[in-house]
Amino acid sequence: MKRLFTICFVLLVLFFFTGCAGVWEFFGDIADKLSEKKSEKAPESTKVLPASYYLEKAGQYEENEELQTALVYLQIAGRLDPDSTKIHEKIASLKSAIDQKAGQHFTTGVTFYKTRKFEDARKQFLTTLRYAPGHKEALDYLKNALHPKEYRTYKVEDKDTIKDISEKFYKDPSKEFLIAYFNNLKTDSKLASDTMLKLPILEPEINRPSIHISAELAKAETLLKEKRYPEVLGVSEKILEYDPLNQKASDLKNAAYYQIGLELSGQKNYPEAMKMFKKVTPVYQGVNEAMQEAINKELLKAESLLKQKQYEQALAVAGKILDYDKSNTAVQNLINTAFCQQARNLIIRKNYTEALHVLSKADPEYDCVKKTTSDVYTAKKKQAEVHYLNGVKHFLNEELQSAIKEWEKALVLNPEHQKAKKNISNARSLLEKLKKVK
Amino acid sequence: MQRSANTRKTISGIVFLLFLLLFAACITSARSYHKISEIRVNDDFIIVTVTTKDTFSSLAAEYLNDPSKGWLIAEFNHIKTLTAGQELIIPLFSFNKGGLKIGGYQTVPVLSYYRLSINKPSKIAITQDDFKAQMKYLKDNGYHVITLDQLLGFLDYQEQLPEKSVVITFDDGWISVYDIALPILKEYGFPATIFIYTDFVGGGKAMSWNHIKELSQAGFDIQCQTKTHRNLAVLKNKESFREYFDSLEMEISYPKKLIETKLNKECNCLAYPYGKTNNLVIAMLKKHGYRAAFTVDNKSNPFFIDKYKISRSPIYGKYDIEKFKNKLSVFQDMELK
Repeated sequence: MKRLFTICFVLLVLFFFTGCAGVWEFFGDIADKLSEKKSEKAPESTKVLPASYYLEKAGQYEENEELQTALVYLQIAGRLDPDSTKIHEKIASLKSAIDQKAGQHFTTGVTFYKTRKFEDARKQFLTTLRYAPGHKEALDYLKNALHPKEYRTYKVEDKDTIKDISEKFYKDPSKEFLIAYFNNLKTDSKLASDTMLKLPILEPEINRPSIHISAELAKAETLLKEKRYPEVLGVSEKILEYDPLNQKASDLKNAAYYQIGLELSGQKNYPEAMKMFKKVTPVYQGVNEAMQEAINKELLKAESLLKQKQYEQALAVAGKILDYDKSNTAVQNLINTAFCQQARNLIIRKNYTEALHVLSKADPEYDCVKKTTSDVYTAKKKQAEVHYLNGVKHFLNEELQSAIKEWEKALVLNPEHQKAKKNISNARSLLEKLKKVK
Repeated sequence: MQRSANTRKTISGIVFLLFLLLFAACITSARSYHKISEIRVNDDFIIVTVTTKDTFSSLAAEYLNDPSKGWLIAEFNHIKTLTAGQELIIPLFSFNKGGLKIGGYQTVPVLSYYRLSINKPSKIAITQDDFKAQMKYLKDNGYHVITLDQLLGFLDYQEQLPEKSVVITFDDGWISVYDIALPILKEYGFPATIFIYTDFVGGGKAMSWNHIKELSQAGFDIQCQTKTHRNLAVLKNKESFREYFDSLEMEISYPKKLIETKLNKECNCLAYPYGKTNNLVIAMLKKHGYRAAFTVDNKSNPFFIDKYKISRSPIYGKYDIEKFKNKLSVFQDMELK
C-alpha cells in the first residue's frame, strides 16, 4: 500500500514539474526503449519525400513567377540534401533574381509616383512586395506616400506669430486656436524660427471662402483662353489660398506659368522664361523640354561670352542656369574654365594673390583648376628669384637699401626663400655698421 | 486500527483516481508523435507527415499555438483536406501578409448592419430571417468572420488573414442587435463589433449600458460612433467654425473616455456617422489616439487602404442572398508581375 502511495506521489510530482507533455514524453521514451515498435499514434509513414520532389516543385513555382514559394521549396530540398552544391547555387541565384525583380518594380514605381501616375505606382509597389514581402520602402509608399495628407507642415519664419501663420495659411487669423491645438501650443506662445508646425488642411466646406470657387474657376478658364496669363495666375492663386488641394486651380496656374515662360522664350528672355518654367510642376506636359531649350540657349550665350574673354558676364549667365539645373555638367565645366582663364590672365599680370582668390571660387577637383593653382605657385617662386637676383645686383653696386627692398619682395612671394632672409639680415647689419662709422 | 487502514485506503484511492484523471487529460492533449517525423527547414518552416488523427486545427494548435490558424497551413499547401501519410509544409509565420498573388490582392469586406426586426425590413432594418440566412451563407461558403483587431493587424501589414475573411459590425446600438443578432452570432460563433453613439445608450429602442457590458463580456467588441451622431464633415446651419471645432472635440473625446470607463476596455476605433469625414476630423482622431475609422463607401478593403477611411458596406432593407453575395468581394484582380 505504502509503495503504491509513493508511486502515485512520485508521478504527481513528476506531472507538476514537467507538465502534460513532459509526462507523456517520459512514458513515450520508456515505451520506445522497451520496444522498437512505434506507438499507434505515430505517423503511418515517416519516410520523407526526396529532395528531387521539392526541387521539381520549386521549378514549377519559379515558372509560375511564385518566387517566394519556389524559394521555400528549394530551401527544403537543400535541407534534405545539404551536400548538394547545385541546390545551394540555385537558392543563391533565386534570391538574387527576387532582389532584382523587386528592385526593378520599385524603381518603376518611384518613377510613376514622381510623375503623379499614382495608380501605376501602386501596382508597381504591390508587385515589389509580392516578390519581396519585406520591402520596407515599397510598403512605405503604399501605406503613407500614396495617401493624401491631412496636414501641411510649415517652417516658422523670423518673427512669425501663430496669428500670422493662421492668416497666411487659412486666410483667417481667428483660426490661431486650431494651430495651437494641433501643435500643443498656446495661442500666444512665442515661436522659435525653423520650428516645424502641423497645419490641418481644411476643405472649403468647413473653411468657407469669401469667394465663389466654381465661379472663380470659370473666370480663370476664360482668362486662359484669352491668353491673359498674369490674370489667370491671380485668380487661380486666390482659389488655392482657400482650397489648397483644388486640382483645377493648380492646373490653371501651371498652364499660365508655362505660357508666360513660352512667351518670354519667344522674346529671347531666357532667364525670365526659366524662372517661369521652374514654377510649373515638373510633370506638366512640355515644361521640361521648354526649360531644357531655354537652358541650352543660355549655355550658348555663356560659351560665346567666354570666348570673348568676358569672364564676369559668362559666369553670371552660367550661375543663373545652375539656379535651375544644379547638376548641369556643361555649365559646371564652363564656370571652372572661366575661373582658370581669369587666373591665367592674372598670372601674366603677376597678380598672384588675386589669381589664387579667383581659383578659390572654382571646384578644386577640376584638372584645369589644379594645374592653374600649381602654375600660380611656380610663377610666384620664379618671380621671387627675379627679385632676389635684382637684390644681389643692387648689393654688388653697394645700393643696400634697394637690395633689401628687392629681397623683401622676394620674401613676400616666397616666404621660404632662405637666402633672401639671410641677405636682408646681413645688409641691415652692414647698414648699422656704416651708420656707426659715419 | 481498522479505521485508520480504511482512511489510508480511501486517501490512496482518491490520489490514484486524481492521478488517473490528470493522466487521461494529458493523453488527450499531449502531441509528441510528430517529433519523430518532422523536419525543421529553418525558423520559418517545418515539414510533417500527416497522421490519421490530424486535422488542420490540431496541427495549428501543435505548431502555431493557435488552433484557429489551420487555414494558414491549408492555404500554404493549397489543399482543403488532409490525407494520412502526406507530407505537409507548416509555415511558422504569416507568409503572405498583404494577401498578394500574381493575379491580384486580397480585400476584406466589412459589413455594416444597423437595426434588425423580426419580420419587417425598413430603411435601416434587416429582418431576422435575412440576417440568419446571411450568417448561414458565410458559414456554408467558407468565410472566416474575423475581429476588428485582426483586420487592423492586416491593415498594418502585420497579420495574414484567411483568404475569405469578412468583418461584421453594427452601428448605433439598437436593442434589436442584442435581442435578435446576438443569439444568431453566438450560434455561428461569429465575432462582431458594435459602434455605439453614447447619447443613444439607454434610450427607448437602444441598448442600456448593462446590455453593452454583457456584450462586451461575451467577447463582442464595443467601439465608438461619436456622442450625438452628428455629421462630422459639415458645419451646421449658422454654426461658427469655433463651435464646430469644439463640437468635434467633444464628439471624438467624450465617448472614447466614457466607453473605456464603463467597459474597462480600450476604445480605439470610430465609425463616422453617415460615413462622412474630412481632414480635420482625421487629424483630431489621430490626436486622440484612435487607431482607425470607418466610412460606408461600399468597397472591400486591401491592406494598403487609409486606416482612417476603412470602407464598409451597409446592409439594410430587403436583402436577399444574391444581393448579399455582391458585398463579399475578397479579391481584386490586378496582374502583379
